[in-house]
Amino acid sequence: MTVLELERTAPAEVKTRSHTDLYVSVGLTTVVLALLAWNITGFPTASDDEGTYLAQAWAVQHGKGLAHYTYWYDHPPLAWIQLAAGSWLPGLIAPSLLAVAAGRIAMLPLQAAGLLLVYVVGRRIGLPRWAAGLGLLTYGLSPLFLTMGRQIYLDSFAVVWTLAALALALTPRKHLWHFAAAGAAAAAAVLSKETILVILPAVLVALWQNTARSSTRPWAIGAFASGLVLVGGFYPLYALLRGELFPGAGHVSLIGAIQFQLGSRSGSGSIFTDGSGAHELLQSWLYYDSVLLVAGAAATVAGLTSRRLRPVAVAGAILIVVALRPGGYLPAMYVVQVLPFFALSIAGVIAWTVTNLRGHCRTAAVVLAVILAATVVAPRWYVGDRRALTANDNAAYVQAAQYLRAQPPSTIVVDDVLWLDCVNAGYPEDRVLWFYKLDLDTEVAARLRGGWRDVDYIVSSPAVRQDPGTLPTVTALLRNSTVIASFGPADGVIEIRQVDKEPS
Amino acid sequence: MTLAAVIMIFVSLVLAAFAAVTLWWTMHAWRTPETLAGTRFAPPDGEQHLTFSLLLPARHEKAVLEHTVERLLRSTHEGFEIIIIVGHDDPDTAAVAHKTAATAPGRILVVTDHNEHKNKPRALNTALPYVRGDVVGVFDAEDQVHPLLLEHVDHAFRATGADVVQGGVQLINFHSSWYSLQNCLEYFFWFRSRLHLHAKKGFIPLGGNTVFVRSDVLRRANGWDGTCLAEDCDLGVRLSSRGAKVVVAYDATIVTREETPHSVAALIRQRTRWHQGFLQVLRKGEWRRLPTWRSRMLARYTLTSPFLQAFSGVVIPVGVAVAIWAQLPVFVALITFLPVLPMAATLMFQIVGLHDFGRQYDLRVRWHHYAKLVLGTFPYALVLSTAALRAVWREHTGRRNWELTAHVGAHLPAEAAA
Repeated sequence: MTVLELERTAPAEVKTRSHTDLYVSVGLTTVVLALLAWNITGFPTASDDEGTYLAQAWAVQHGKGLAHYTYWYDHPPLAWIQLAAGSWLPGLIAPSLLAVAAGRIAMLPLQAAGLLLVYVVGRRIGLPRWAAGLGLLTYGLSPLFLTMGRQIYLDSFAVVWTLAALALALTPRKHLWHFAAAGAAAAAAVLSKETILVILPAVLVALWQNTARSSTRPWAIGAFASGLVLVGGFYPLYALLRGELFPGAGHVSLIGAIQFQLGSRSGSGSIFTDGSGAHELLQSWLYYDSVLLVAGAAATVAGLTSRRLRPVAVAGAILIVVALRPGGYLPAMYVVQVLPFFALSIAGVIAWTVTNLRGHCRTAAVVLAVILAATVVAPRWYVGDRRALTANDNAAYVQAAQYLRAQPPSTIVVDDVLWLDCVNAGYPEDRVLWFYKLDLDTEVAARLRGGWRDVDYIVSSPAVRQDPGTLPTVTALLRNSTVIASFGPADGVIEIRQVDKEPS
Repeated sequence: MTLAAVIMIFVSLVLAAFAAVTLWWTMHAWRTPETLAGTRFAPPDGEQHLTFSLLLPARHEKAVLEHTVERLLRSTHEGFEIIIIVGHDDPDTAAVAHKTAATAPGRILVVTDHNEHKNKPRALNTALPYVRGDVVGVFDAEDQVHPLLLEHVDHAFRATGADVVQGGVQLINFHSSWYSLQNCLEYFFWFRSRLHLHAKKGFIPLGGNTVFVRSDVLRRANGWDGTCLAEDCDLGVRLSSRGAKVVVAYDATIVTREETPHSVAALIRQRTRWHQGFLQVLRKGEWRRLPTWRSRMLARYTLTSPFLQAFSGVVIPVGVAVAIWAQLPVFVALITFLPVLPMAATLMFQIVGLHDFGRQYDLRVRWHHYAKLVLGTFPYALVLSTAALRAVWREHTGRRNWELTAHVGAHLPAEAAA
């Protein structure tokens, strides 16, 4: 009796509405996630950064601190602490995978959360269901996302936390603890990748808009600030407790690292200068997906004029301005932060056009959009997405890892991609050396009392050969070693080289 | 070392949970715009159906009594009487009371309390047989009562069918000293927010004044406990556990205005008495009769808070000091900072609260008040901890002091007559 009554009194309309959103968002996310997972091990080429973060996650898992070398506050550690929670699992199920490939699988739940949050944020800035779905697909089907979304980048963690902060700041119930959670999520974003700090104003705009004409606005702002400051404060607190907050002789420090990142890091030039690093980077992003970047930038500018779209557009606009600043440093994964906001702006502008135009204009706009989608977007994305689903760019790494697994453990110098493969294969962790650290970390150099002659093997990959001559020990190793096995095509060859201990 | 680390982690987690729950409840009213709207009170409909008997215990209060009664007489409500209770050993106050009563014959009655050991609950019980109104209201001799209050309360009783209506009380003199600022904010958060949660959850420790109870309900409950140091809290617990419906009528414009204690020592004494009273109520165990497990937990938590407060006020600073100076593993040291999180958030909300307090009561809050608030937080926590420790110590050593210890459990002759 009571059960029946309960069921009857539940408002049926509310029930179906919330469920439709659930079905649409989960359905679309599943499709995109399948595309993301398909061939995740084969494309794109494993990068040194991925290996670094994964190795740091390994260090966290094994209680060796925040990094497999001295942690020097280059980035806040929350992203790989989160990665550590999941990255051990895929390798357990499929031990033959390249370590980086296994780590990528651990990124899938995160990306699923990101896709769902794009939908939620879309709905909460007032987009109709179809437009929120369009935003999700624009984000998820972009070849840039299907490429960089697979990789182990800190930016992916940061952007998902920022989307969570936005979604919470836009809470329809205006619940005080949602605002506190929004602050905490924003702090988690910054502790995942510090550069996301620049788009915090977007979250503030969302908070400000959502509490307009609300009796609880001052409390909401207090709650947000509490969440942000108190969660964010744990990072400097960690440094303080270790005695590494302020610069000093003989130890790394948080403030010293920030000074280095802001002041000493060489810029990558202006995006507008031919031949500059930033310009080349932009070209490579445009190569993967010009549609999302160009249309997204335009939609971002247009979106600034609309109150509802403003939080998302502000995030996109700040990222554009930061990228355009001359002389700054632009990392390759920067675009990861941009994608969801561009996608939401595009969906928002399309939704605005469709809902605000009437009669023939509306029909014409819809027809134009469909034609553009079919003739401009679809062919380009088809090419890019097909590459992501079929290319096998990591064969050389996989073969090299297999070869190394079969060898008896020795002292070996590798790039960061293969570092974890060696350690997993039973090489003593302090005898597997990341090539970069030989010349830059005194603690590592001290492990080799006899200099380069203490090394048995060096694995020469494109990353190792990238800046010839800048690392003397690596140069010496490459000069005094002979190839015993090599894998892959000539331009990306990976060589296992045995070190010739006797002077030649 | 490992054991020390385990203890540190455990204590930190407990303290963090305690502070977080307290913060969660303190912020009840501002959870959503809807909850805030829910704490507002509907304006009165202009009708007057109930009659009030307003009890005014006065002991050595000749300076303020006349003024307080004068203000009460300005009430817009027609149906009320004032019963002033004076002690037989306090002729000065009695003289003022009789003089005041002569100004409004038929409205004011002076009752003399002949109990050898005087305290507030006994004074109230002395007056109970003389009560003629439908509703008993309690005020302190120094209260500034708003003329519209009774009309609001009349409406509140009728609109909600309540047995008890707790009106708002607010300390106003936040500018007097560093601790009065903290004290005012405590009242603000308690009456503006936390009390509503207690009313909603069915367990409410009532305040000492501006509290209104239906006379029949009060008589059935045998009035106040003359031996309890926190007779107000005790009455709330007993009425709650008997299923009485309690509503909170809070409106910044009609709150009863009071002043903070005149010195830190007086504040500590007052707080010691409340804390000790809470512990007595806890020991009496009436709260065990509350209908739901949740309300029993809420009761246990609220009544134990003196212990926890004493505990946290001492342990948190010690923990932080240990974390910084002792060579704890960084992970453990970070965990010892967890209780600081809700504490710092509380401070953040107090800053917002001070702003809101100034707006609601039309008071000028200047930047140096905010500075005082931030700087005064830790000293104030020490004051509260001192009071809590003192209460625990006194309760432990059986010093339930002044006139109270002699007649534990004894009922008053006046009450028996009722």
